[in-house]
Formats: sequence, C-alpha cells, structure tokens
Amino acid sequence: MISTQGAWKKLSVAAGVVAFLAFIPTVMSAHYLVNVLSLFFLYVTIAQAWNILGGYTGQLNVGQAAFFGIGALATRLTWVVGLPFYLAFPVGGISALLLAGLIGLPSLRLRGHYFAIGTFALAIIARIVIGNILPGVALAPGEYAANYSLLPRYYLALSLAFSVTLVMHLVVNSKLGLGMMTTRDDEEAAEAIGVNTFKLKVLAFALSSFFTGLGGGFFAFYYISYYYYVPFDLLWCFEPLLITFVGGVATIIGPILGSILFVALKETFALTFGEISVLIFGVVFVFVVLFLPGGLISLSEKFRRLLHKSVV
Amino acid sequence: MDVAQFIIYGLINGSLYGLVALGLALAFGIMGYLNIAHGDLIMLAAYGSFWLFKIWHVDPFISIPLMMVVMFAAGAVLYVAVFSHLSKFPILDRLKNSILVSFGLMMVFTNMATVLWTADERCTTPFYSGMVIDIAGIRLPYIGLATIALAIIITLALHVFLTKTYFGKAIRATAQDWEAAELMGIDVARTYLFSFAFAVATAGIAGSVISTNVVSPSIGLDWTNYGLILVILAGVGNINAILPAGLLLGVVEAISVYLAGVPYTGVAGLVMFVLVLMLRPQGLFKGRAAL
Amino acid sequence: MLEIDKIDVYHGGDIQALWQISLKVEDKEIVALIGSNGAGKSTVLKSISGLLKPRKGTISYGGIRLDKIPPQKIVEIGICMVPEGRRLFPDMSVLENLELGAYLGHSRQAKDETISWVYEIFPVLKERARQAARTLSGGEQQMLAIGRALMSQPKLLLLDEISLGLSPLLVETIYDVIKRISESRRITILAVEQNVNMILELANRAYIIENGHIVGQGDANALLESGAVKDAYLGITPAQGEVQ
Repeated sequence: MISTQGAWKKLSVAAGVVAFLAFIPTVMSAHYLVNVLSLFFLYVTIAQAWNILGGYTGQLNVGQAAFFGIGALATRLTWVVGLPFYLAFPVGGISALLLAGLIGLPSLRLRGHYFAIGTFALAIIARIVIGNILPGVALAPGEYAANYSLLPRYYLALSLAFSVTLVMHLVVNSKLGLGMMTTRDDEEAAEAIGVNTFKLKVLAFALSSFFTGLGGGFFAFYYISYYYYVPFDLLWCFEPLLITFVGGVATIIGPILGSILFVALKETFALTFGEISVLIFGVVFVFVVLFLPGGLISLSEKFRRLLHKSVV
Repeated sequence: MDVAQFIIYGLINGSLYGLVALGLALAFGIMGYLNIAHGDLIMLAAYGSFWLFKIWHVDPFISIPLMMVVMFAAGAVLYVAVFSHLSKFPILDRLKNSILVSFGLMMVFTNMATVLWTADERCTTPFYSGMVIDIAGIRLPYIGLATIALAIIITLALHVFLTKTYFGKAIRATAQDWEAAELMGIDVARTYLFSFAFAVATAGIAGSVISTNVVSPSIGLDWTNYGLILVILAGVGNINAILPAGLLLGVVEAISVYLAGVPYTGVAGLVMFVLVLMLRPQGLFKGRAAL
Repeated sequence: MLEIDKIDVYHGGDIQALWQISLKVEDKEIVALIGSNGAGKSTVLKSISGLLKPRKGTISYGGIRLDKIPPQKIVEIGICMVPEGRRLFPDMSVLENLELGAYLGHSRQAKDETISWVYEIFPVLKERARQAARTLSGGEQQMLAIGRALMSQPKLLLLDEISLGLSPLLVETIYDVIKRISESRRITILAVEQNVNMILELANRAYIIENGHIVGQGDANALLESGAVKDAYLGITPAQGEVQ
C-alpha cells in the first residue's frame, strides 16, 4: 500500500510543517496571525472529525454543532467551577462522546436521509433548548481573564489539529479505514463480505464526536466570554461540511486545504464587506455547493488531466 | 387557566405549525429538496406583511393573496437561480446539497434582513389583535380562529388540487418516479419549478399570519425547526398528514407547558421527534406518501 | 418510419454502451431487438425515447430528428415506451396511471374513449381501477404499463422486456394482445426481448445486438430456424449482414 520510503517522506514533510507552525509565535508575536492560525487549527480539527464519519464512512452528520456545543458547555462549566483545565478539556470530548452514544447509537440504524435529517434536527433542537435554558453569557471568572495568554491556546489548537490528522491518517490507512470506506460505498455488499458495518459506523461516530467535543472544549478555553448558545450555532454544522467538500471529501489533506481557503475568505470578507460579509459569504457558499461538488481536489484532478491531454 | 384553554391555544399553534410546514413538506416530498431556509422565507414574507401594514395599512390577512403572489415569484426565481441546478444529482446528494445550499441562503436572508431593517422586533397590530370570542369561559382569539380556518382551507385546497386536477396528478406522478413521468410527456423541469414556487408561496401565508406575532431577522430557524419536526411526524411525502401532525404537536406542547411551564416548550417537540425517528421513522400517520 | 443511423451512446459520461448502431422499422411492422443481458437493448430504446442522447449518429422518425428533441416532444410525435421494470406510479390508482398516460394534448381529449378501449383489451384493469398500482400482480402491472403507453395514442410502441418475471402463459396472452392491437390500430412495434422464441414468432423482422453492436438481422422466421440467434447468445459473433 504505502511504500516505506513514501511514508518517511510524508512524515518528514508533516514534521517540518508542524515545526514551522510551532515556531511561528516565538518569532512573530503578531497577535493577529497567531489568532487566525488558532482558528484555522480549530477548523481543521472539526473538519477532519466530520470527515471520518461523513467522507470515509458515508454517514452524513449534519448536526455537528450539537457535539461541538456540548463539548464547549461541559468544558466551560467544569473549568469555571474549579476543575483544572487539563481535566476539563477531555471532559468536553467525553460529553460529546456520551451524547453520540445516547442519540447516535440508535440513529445509526437510520438509513439514508433519515440520519442526516435526524442529526440536523438534533442540532436545531439543542440550539433552541440552550437558548431557552441558558440565554446568558458564559463568563470566565476574573482571574482567568486576567491571566489570559494566547500562546498555550495556540499550541493546544496546533496539537489538537495535529493529533486528529494523525489519528485520521492511521485509521484511514488501516483495515478499519478500508472497512469504513467499503461501508460507505455499498453497505449491503460490505455486510455480505463479512464487514461489521455497524461496529465501524459506531467507531467512526465515536471518533468524530470525541474530537468535535474536544474542539468545543478548545472553544471554551480560547474565548473568554461568549453567549452560551454560540458554540451551538448551526454554523458549526455547516462550516466543517463546506470546508471538507471544498477541500475534498474522503481525503486527509482536503479538510486542511478547505480550512485554509475558508479562513482566508472569511477574514478577507470581514475586512472588506463589514456589515454584509455574512451575506457575501452565503452567496459564495451557494456557488461552491452548486458548481464545485468535487471540491478543490477535483479541480487539481481536472487540471492534471488537462495537462495530460495537452501533453499526450 | 384550565386545560381546555391550553388545548385551544395548542390547536391554534398547531395550525400555524401546519401552515409553516406545508411548504417544506412539499419541496421535500416532490423533489427531495430540504429547504432549510424555508423559515427565513417565512420571515421575509412576515416583513412584507409588516411593511404593507405599516405603510399602507393593509390588514395582514388581506395581504395574504398579494404575499402569495410575491413569494411565488420569488420562489420561481430562487428555483431557477439555485435549486434547479440540484436536479442533476441523485437522491441522497440532492438532500445533502439542498441542505447546504439553503444554509447559504439562510445566511444571505438573515444578514440582509438585519442590514435592511435592524434586529428590532416588529409586529402588525390589526384592530382585532387582542379580541376574543368568549364561550363558557374559554377565550377564542379572532386571530387564532382565523389561523385554524386558514390552515384547514389551505390543506383541503391542496388535497383537492393534487388529487382532482390533471396537473396535480402530474405533480404526484413526478414525485413518485420522475423518469416515468417524463416518458408520459410530463415536463418535469416545469413541474419542479411550479412545485417549488408554490411551496415558497405557502411561506407567504405563514408569514402573514406570523406578522401578527413577532417579526425579526432571527425568527427563521425556529419555524424551520417546526417544519422539520412535522415532516418527520407526518412521514416524508405525506402532505395530508402535515396539519394533523401539527395539531398533535401543538396540543402535546400545550399540555406539557400546562404541566411543566413555559421554558420547556421546545422539549415536547424534541421528545416526539426523537421518539418517532427512533421507533417509527416512516411517520405516525397511516397512508403511504399521499404524494 | 423509424430510422437509427450509426449511433454511439454513452452511459454516465464516459462508458460507451452502443457502437454505430443502425436499424430501421417500417410502419406497421413488428420488429424485435434481441440479445443477451447487458447487450445494450434497453439503451437503444432509451435513446429513441429521448432519455439518452447519442453522441454520434442520428435517430429520425417520419423525417423528424428525435435525437435533438426532449422526451416530451417525442411522446407528442407518437412514440411511446413501455419501460423496463414497468415504472408505474406505485401509489396512484390504475385509473390514475392510465389517465397520466394521456397527459398530452390530443390524447387527453380522447382520454375516456381510450380508457374504454384499454379496459376492453385488459379487462382485469377495469376490475382494479381504483386500486393502487403497487398492489397489482406482476402480470397485471405489465398490462397496466402497456395500457398506460397506449393512452398516448402512439404510432410507434417501444416494448422493453415485457416478459420479464412473467409466466410463459401470461407472456403469450400479452403478446397476443399486442399482435391484435398492432393490426387493428396499425401501431408499429419495436420490442426488446430476452425471450427469443416468443418474440420471433410474433415479429416480422429482428435485429441481434451483442455488446453494443448489431451482429445480425433478418426475417424473424429465418432467424428462428437458423443458428445465428443461438450463436449470438453463446458469444459467437457472425459477420454483420443479412442472414438467409
């Protein structure tokens, strides 16, 4: 499958990139760049998390916001009442995992569009319930705000994005990953050849929700104060989806490429369009969905084929 | 307030939910497009009624025919510009892409409304706003009664249209097998266009009614939510069951508020939704897809 | 007259299904298109009815180019297909399915008359008029599919594997009806079949298709007696041309 030489090359490139990224804040104390990159890492994380269930196992989870939100909520609440952050952080991941177990397990039995609708409605309902029960602002207590330091947050985000990518790489290139992709392509056929599709779907859902929850935990750490409903906002359902599709579904590099483009666009629009930036972004969103169904990866494919044709 | 009053309110709310969900159910049942911006289209229509009322003193219920025409046109434009491109995708991709695309539209609509009209809450206040008919101590608000009547009329009219007219039958046939419909000489593209535009036109009705209550850029999502819940409760494609499902939800909601209080309003819908999805995903109501 | 001239047809973008297919059907003929599974028979019919468009070559009927117009126009011209697998509208009644067959202009006006006629030739449909199509038996569904196609008052009827899943007796009955209506109403028939014997008895002429190519053609009786048909099914490809 992967030649050892190819694997070493890939590993060294990845290590180089990570080292470079880790190095950045030490030379540039440019807050803006460090902030943008932190968000970029967050998006990579949740996009990769979505991709493991959606792109590789074929289960369209349109309700990621519920898991992201729960992770943020659990982490913020436990952290604020005194649990040290290094414990509160995994609590976020675990609570998302629990939610997945509660709702996710039965919902995985749903075929086709019901899973997408079900998870989506779950996210809407979570959003509305949170808006009703906790309409206020989640405030970090004074000492946390005073001691706020960007660096640990940057490195947490970087490690999170790196870990999720690494886990993805390992799973996808293993027998598990093969089983997942087979399940995605033709569930009945997979069952027929002895693949335990349910177990794989559960595993993918678990990984997906856990990392999404951790992403939420990071959100609660990164932002000092925010309305409780913000991490439950439906945006968190669609942005990872869009990012993955733009970048290239069912690839490891897709969510990364997509996140780069996404963050770059968002920042540019916010700066250029101000009030109507969301509107413009929505229009671009619509365009991308309609006219770029294969994502950026397919663009590079088409480009390569064009080159090939002109040469041959 | 005793239970009977709550139930009346439940029926009124349920009728409104039914009106809201009709458009969503139509687009989804006929074409497989889940338009989650439906609630925002209702929001825009509500603003339309509001401005008609504010500037030209048009009664919101009187404005319904006009709003239907306007929204029909808007729906046609929306279809041609956006949703028609989805018809080339197979069914599961249609669902996913329509959700994505309509999410983009949601962003456009809410941002647009906020920029144009600010986030302030508005509502139309026709003279009969607070008025009720009092029967044996039970209060029946004029607006509520009108809502119930509207919901019943529209549902019946739709049923007659789909079952007794040729074009209506063509729509149902297209929903069941669009390739076979093409072989019959039915213009599927035109059928889709009309169906989608009509689904958006129903948003004009719901929006006008809602304008008497609360109008602001952020109300869209709540209504889409109700629409989704009803689509699942009724069973995908079962248009006839949408209003009954709405009434059921409304009453269950009212009773749960009676028992547990207002903050738990959304919970009734949540619980019913989850239960139906887990235990009976084809919907609560008998009769296969009436489409 | 239906004339297909050297068409190349592709599936799903890049997969070629038909190579240089040519065939003719004169008015009032019954022509069979036979071949084994996956040979491309249905693809030919789909190309005629407009669901697929050929990349090369032409299809014309009575001088009108079919490959340039949408499926609705093709039905208007008088060509109707009974699709593979029947493709009835499952939740609509027998009557509604028939009514939808007469959707277009002129056939809509004659609808009631045509329905009476269809009930005459397939009496069981009248019995089941209000039943949902999905509740009918296989044979009844096939009759409904044919009846529905007849509602558009076609001049050319395309039959796609109507014997599939039916008992031989039923198939014989249905083909008897087809023969009768073809003669009484002067309807041209192009029938695709795997059940070779049945259709060759009925048809005037036949074409043999294999792997997307026409590999033989000729008088139906002659083909029935010669070994060419057997050869085609066993994968032995004779040279193109008439078989005596």
